[in-house]
Amino acid sequence: MAKRVFSTQNMSWIASASGAAITSPTTPQWMAVKGGNATAIIDILEILISGLASASTLGGFIFSRVTTLEAAAGGAALTTSAPKASDGLMNPSGQAVTNPVVVFNAASTTGPTPSNVITNADLNLGLNMFGGILRWNAAPTQQWWIVGNTTTTGESILYNCSTAGGATGLASAHIMYEPY
Amino acid sequence: MPFLKTSNDGEISIDHSASPGLTPEQARRFGYPAELVGEGKRMTAPTLGCPHCGSAVILNPMRTRERAHCYACNKYICDICDAVRHEPGYVHRTIEDIAALMTSGKWRNAGSMSKPVLVPMED
Repeated sequence: MAKRVFSTQNMSWIASASGAAITSPTTPQWMAVKGGNATAIIDILEILISGLASASTLGGFIFSRVTTLEAAAGGAALTTSAPKASDGLMNPSGQAVTNPVVVFNAASTTGPTPSNVITNADLNLGLNMFGGILRWNAAPTQQWWIVGNTTTTGESILYNCSTAGGATGLASAHIMYEPY
Repeated sequence: MPFLKTSNDGEISIDHSASPGLTPEQARRFGYPAELVGEGKRMTAPTLGCPHCGSAVILNPMRTRERAHCYACNKYICDICDAVRHEPGYVHRTIEDIAALMTSGKWRNAGSMSKPVLVPMED
């Protein structure tokens, strides 16, 4: 289908532990991507993080599978108020899928639980948020897969992991993806 | 068929050229080579997708240990999937196979990505 970009600007990435629901879930602080239905397939193609902290701050960014979904399912809608977030087509004449991908950076009750299962891969994307920039780009066929919309396979999350040593700080980020 | 072995390489760029960067301890925590992510440094490394679990892996440019290769897929696989494939009862399935089973609506994954446990969906 058509590639899309999910982005957040100048967001405070609150450091949160892996293997537990993210705390303070109503405050935008992560970037989650979930399939629109049980047959959805999503390719994650690129992740970029631009640190905006005003002092040296370790960003323990990890792109991880989600082992327990958020509540209510699908999280809270993106907003244009600070921190601004958006999700749209890269090609403005592209077509959206019938069951749109669910992207969110906050939830109404409970945050998603990033995986701490040893047989789930984590993409380590740590950097110093004081001026650090990180960009990961997948070659064709080498993308990160999301399949369906249930736990582990169906949802992945970019978050600041305190278990990895991350501390809360400001950054902008985008996730480029292509749903099918 | 890829033209070159590096045709499947993605890229990660970590730019601390205008940043204090990571301390050696912080770098090791993330599995980065400490000498490439310190103050004023810029690290560029290839990344590869794992055809078994569907994840992406940053290839540490300083690694000297061998990397795993699946001869059924004829592709690189990640260390986690390499460990799992040596366990008893292992069944070789690519992420495409798992996706096909799950999107059929008849199966769900009750395990992890590297160690999937596919169970039939209840009616």
